[in-house]
Amino acid sequence: MSTHVDTFSYDDAIVRKFLWATIIWGLVGFLAGLLIALQLANPIFNFDISWLSFGRLRPLHTNAVIFAFAGNAIFTGAYYSTQRLLKTRMFSDGLSNFHFWGWQAIIVAAAITLPLGFTQAKEYAELEWPIDIAIAVVWVAFAINFFGTIARRRERHIYVAIWFYIASIITVAILHIFNNLSVPAGLFKSYSLYAGVQDAFMQWWYGHNAVAFFLTTPFLGLMYYFMPKAAERPVFSYKLSILHFWTIVFLYIWAGPHHLHYTALPDWASTLGMLFSVMLWMPSWGGMVNGLLTLRGAWHKVTEEPVLKFFVVAITAYGMSTFEGPMLSVKSVNALAHYTDWIIAHVHTGALGWNGLLTFGMVYWLAPRLFQAPLHSKKLAEVHFWIASFGILLYVAAIYSAGITQGLMWRAFDETGRLAYPDFVETVMQLMPMYWVRVVGGTLYIVGACIFAYNIFRTWQARPKTYEVPMVSAPPLPAVYVDEHPAPVPAGAIARFTSAGWHRRWERLPTLFTVMVVVAVVVASLAEIIPTFLIKSNVPTIASVRPYTPLELVGRDLYIREGCFNCHSQMVRPLRHETERFGEYSKPGEFVYDHPFLWGSRRIGPDLARVGGKYPDLWHLRHFEEPTSLVQNSIMPGYRHLVERELDFDGIQARVDAMVMLGVPYGEAVRNAPELARAQANDVGARIVEGGGQAGMETREVVALIAYLQRLGKDIQQAGGVAAAPGATP
Amino acid sequence: MKLVDVMSASGLSMYAIVALLLFVGAFVTVVILILAPGSAERHRRASRLPLDDDSRPAPQAGSDNG
Ligand code: HEC
Repeated sequence: MSTHVDTFSYDDAIVRKFLWATIIWGLVGFLAGLLIALQLANPIFNFDISWLSFGRLRPLHTNAVIFAFAGNAIFTGAYYSTQRLLKTRMFSDGLSNFHFWGWQAIIVAAAITLPLGFTQAKEYAELEWPIDIAIAVVWVAFAINFFGTIARRRERHIYVAIWFYIASIITVAILHIFNNLSVPAGLFKSYSLYAGVQDAFMQWWYGHNAVAFFLTTPFLGLMYYFMPKAAERPVFSYKLSILHFWTIVFLYIWAGPHHLHYTALPDWASTLGMLFSVMLWMPSWGGMVNGLLTLRGAWHKVTEEPVLKFFVVAITAYGMSTFEGPMLSVKSVNALAHYTDWIIAHVHTGALGWNGLLTFGMVYWLAPRLFQAPLHSKKLAEVHFWIASFGILLYVAAIYSAGITQGLMWRAFDETGRLAYPDFVETVMQLMPMYWVRVVGGTLYIVGACIFAYNIFRTWQARPKTYEVPMVSAPPLPAVYVDEHPAPVPAGAIARFTSAGWHRRWERLPTLFTVMVVVAVVVASLAEIIPTFLIKSNVPTIASVRPYTPLELVGRDLYIREGCFNCHSQMVRPLRHETERFGEYSKPGEFVYDHPFLWGSRRIGPDLARVGGKYPDLWHLRHFEEPTSLVQNSIMPGYRHLVERELDFDGIQARVDAMVMLGVPYGEAVRNAPELARAQANDVGARIVEGGGQAGMETREVVALIAYLQRLGKDIQQAGGVAAAPGATP
Repeated sequence: MKLVDVMSASGLSMYAIVALLLFVGAFVTVVILILAPGSAERHRRASRLPLDDDSRPAPQAGSDNG
């Protein structure tokens, strides 16, 4: 072994940058959340401005808190801990900075494009294809920097936090690439490569694993580093942490289909999803116990140290949401909870509690170290802790009861066997008090976050003129592994095998380790995805289902642009109260031309899968102009701009062509889409005039959207499969 | 012939079940190995890694004026 010792320093400047980004984007994301909470409590807060309306801002809120706030928090903690755990500076300062500025640029791009209505309509994957490519590039830069750092490490053993980072980096890359495969139809418009059931499957394989590998595994990595640091003792059980890691990697990836119970997804897939989700409960609680018991013998410190308070409640919230999650994935519970606010309560336990509080605790711990000045005020940190915890409690309790209330009202029947609340809006009105409590809870959380920002800002103000850069020394790794502390090798082959020396060897071999993670993720994903994709019997075709006409296709794109799917589902489940309320349940074969699928995940408004023909065209026009003029108490935003804006008929051809590339049989529409669209628009315009509405609507965007809505659910009514849609007959 | 036709003809429907079995097998093995006795000392050392960072950049961290 060499006696040579390297002297080096850690790059904390990059950690400071990510820390500020976390704080700033956190505030932006929370405020966006507050605005959309207000919009649901009173639609006046949509301000009749297209880019401020609920459907456009809801994705902005989710993207801001997930990728901007939580994302930057992960990078803050990962850049700090990775260098120290591996005893080396990051592989390349240039890549670190590229990662930082690239990621912020992506966030800014998202903050501009989402309110403008550029969206792929897939939850947490809304960003359009040019931004998706940028994300992939920045992520690869991060991965190179990260793996390069591992390669240059001076500590042979790779601590469990780093494994969690590795699994996150790899899996997020795979998820992002496969879910976003699409065919562009212009710079800011694309159609998913997949359709209907497959697209839904891909999306929730992605969506669930985004929760797993963006909001769970990296934060567990942070927990396994910062909790021992703050408690000043090692993690309760290292064995348990290994177990936690492998079970999570093995099980999570299978759980996605639980988002699609009772939908047109094949039954075996959703049962599989349920099974694995229930199994996840065990390791998750193992992890929670491991985190909390790290405080063994140090519980008294919790009373004095706000950092530990934040960690304890964060880890408890992790435990609560990982108990609730498996429960929600049980089909019978899901039948009640799906499409309701219960799910919103569930994610906010996770996001506000687990991700939010863990981040705050981590930043309070880091700030004095990074800014080399004592924390401005511990008392303010305490105040933040109590306000935030109380805010979470209000939020979750209110929205949880809103969810249960609405779920029960939807399924209630009266003595005569009819729906007890046939008027959908009645079930919405019932939620209003709870929606206002949510506004209060959210406001408290934001007040806490402002106190936090102020506290960190004041700490920063007290920083020294120039930061001291401490030099660290450590011997380089010898080229050949030498076990410095050989454990006695147990006698007997089995005992040797089970002494887990083999696992230690893997841990020292990051490449093999990474390959194992990739194999685990890919095998599970393929096992789920291949059958739905490629076995025909899983998606029986229906002869009467035809592609959308060119006009309906643009109408559908407007539906996507306005984010209607954030409030409306298009998926009637085969449950009696649903078929009673909305009509025939949805079949897999109905969606074969839906690129992307628009099943939705939350019913703030009624399901629209069977809305075609329910109302005259004029009704829809008036409804878009001012929903409350037709339905008193409606909380749907008005869409006057759709009535004012001219429809871009010439742009239709590119859209149809992109669909044709995806294999949608468009027949004669291939060459004359705009003409066909004009003809159909004239029909709609004429019917509006006939009904007593204003003339001139046939050139406006609204006719396309009306044409689309009037088509929904129609195909399945065409017995015998006689073609109906003009212009779309293959 | 479309990709779907090729794949449906190739009898891949067993793939899900085979993968599932492989998976459960691998998983159970990992669990058994981790829980097996004999690795305590190595794990104890590994678990102390976050605490051996001897760059202490925090002046009076924890001491407070608030
Ligand atoms: C904030 C959530 C929200 C958004 C966004 C939203 N809606 Fe609604 N929508 C509702 C609610 C609530 C109702 C029920 C009250 C009513 O009819 O106005 C409703 C009702 C409807 C109805 C009548 C359904 C029926 O069966 O009576 C249609 C059609 C409709 N919305 C279409 C749209 C379209 C198209 C968009 C996008 C341009 C949209 N909605 C955006 C909440 C929303």
